Amino acid sequence: MNRIYSYITDISPVSRCNTYLLPCMSSRCIMTLRTGQATRWITVLRTIMTFCFIMTLFLLPGTAFSQAGGNAEVKDSVDIPLKIRTGIDITGPAIWFTDKSILTAEAYISTDLNEKFALFLGAGYSDYSYSQYNYDYLSKGSFFKAGMDFNLLRPEIAAGKYWAGIGIRYGISSCLSETPSFTHENYWGSISSAIKPYRIMGHYLEISPGFRAELFKNFSIGWSVNLRKLISPGQKKDLRPLWLPGYGSGESVTAGAAYYISWNIPYRKIRVGLKKDEPEEYYDDDESGGSREDRSYRSISGSGAGNRLR
Amino acid sequence: MRRFFILLWLYRQKVMRNTFNIISAVVVACALFLSVSCTPGSCFEETNSYLKATFYRTSQGKPVPPDSLSMYGIGKDSAVYKKASRVQPALIPLDPSASACGFLIRINGVDDTVSFFYSTFTHLISRECGYTFFHDLDSLAYTRNIIDTILIKFRTISTFNEPNIFIYY
Repeated sequence: MNRIYSYITDISPVSRCNTYLLPCMSSRCIMTLRTGQATRWITVLRTIMTFCFIMTLFLLPGTAFSQAGGNAEVKDSVDIPLKIRTGIDITGPAIWFTDKSILTAEAYISTDLNEKFALFLGAGYSDYSYSQYNYDYLSKGSFFKAGMDFNLLRPEIAAGKYWAGIGIRYGISSCLSETPSFTHENYWGSISSAIKPYRIMGHYLEISPGFRAELFKNFSIGWSVNLRKLISPGQKKDLRPLWLPGYGSGESVTAGAAYYISWNIPYRKIRVGLKKDEPEEYYDDDESGGSREDRSYRSISGSGAGNRLR
Repeated sequence: MRRFFILLWLYRQKVMRNTFNIISAVVVACALFLSVSCTPGSCFEETNSYLKATFYRTSQGKPVPPDSLSMYGIGKDSAVYKKASRVQPALIPLDPSASACGFLIRINGVDDTVSFFYSTFTHLISRECGYTFFHDLDSLAYTRNIIDTILIKFRTISTFNEPNIFIYY
């Protein structure tokens, strides 16, 4: 259990993984083992609760999807409400609750262009501090992201309520980076120095596969895994940033996760036609597998082109 | 590359033809990436930058390490090398708190002094290792008891392995 607890608390931000060692070797875990029976029980209960909470977060959208799939009816067309969506990422505050050295607050707004595509704009703030035996580091700043979300669900399953797809974003991160102190030792002795605060403007690309489901009327939850590629760290290589707001540690590739709570505002409805496939001349059973009922879809409103979705 | 072939195999086996399967696979891959990224935060890199000096025999014109090498920083009691044999290249630590430093170099029992003039700048090694100092070598001065000449080959003194100077003796 201690192992699970340690793993759960450590997994969220990639950057923190370096602070703690292997799951059962983390200082937190060692401390837990040394405390009394009562503390152990509290830890076990917290572990179970944390585990249940995380599992609930991940399973809720899945449950909604399964319901959506079961209720889908075969029609010639479906009405899809286009929505303006605004939400916040709750992983940042959750991480801050357990680890006060990282505060990330992120909000976003997205607008459906049609049943498949949505424009995405996100912004956030990050306050990060890191301390090691030979240096301290601070980074404070904001970030902006813009891009597109692609819904890969069939329109009759998505129905304007469910989303499973991939987001592609371009991010700009601006922060004040500072090293208040560091020490270096060599043959000539020990030297203590500092790097004054300096402004960094980093650029990155983000790919975010994920899921989202409307739990209640106009209220959605969803999660995504974020893979990011640094285009420019905004600083010469000798003093590249250790942390970029919205991006994470200054490595060339980083990963993270987000859990969104969103409020949706429907602004327009479009009718999306469901067009049955023409039977193929050379039909191969092995190749088609279970895709006999596949259809291609055409947006009646004219904004969406006919697209084949699997 | 191996991952690509695994994905290709999965596609051919018709496992990944479904959108959900593809997204799930991406999510699992990302989770794996996250777990792989969680490596212990230990520093395994070189944290000191050294001026690398390669010794050449003037008579032979090829790299020959001295039979005996001693090296002391001027003003320091401790030795960088003490009667060390077959040292090639010699790693010379510069003083980051100054713009110049000198060394007494004893090659095969004969003393010479070498002074280095340089500028210093901070370099981030990695998150795990923290910061170090790199230098740009401007010039040097030396006595010629056993040393014939010193050539500067690469001015940036870092933790990397490029030779910075050739000492002909």
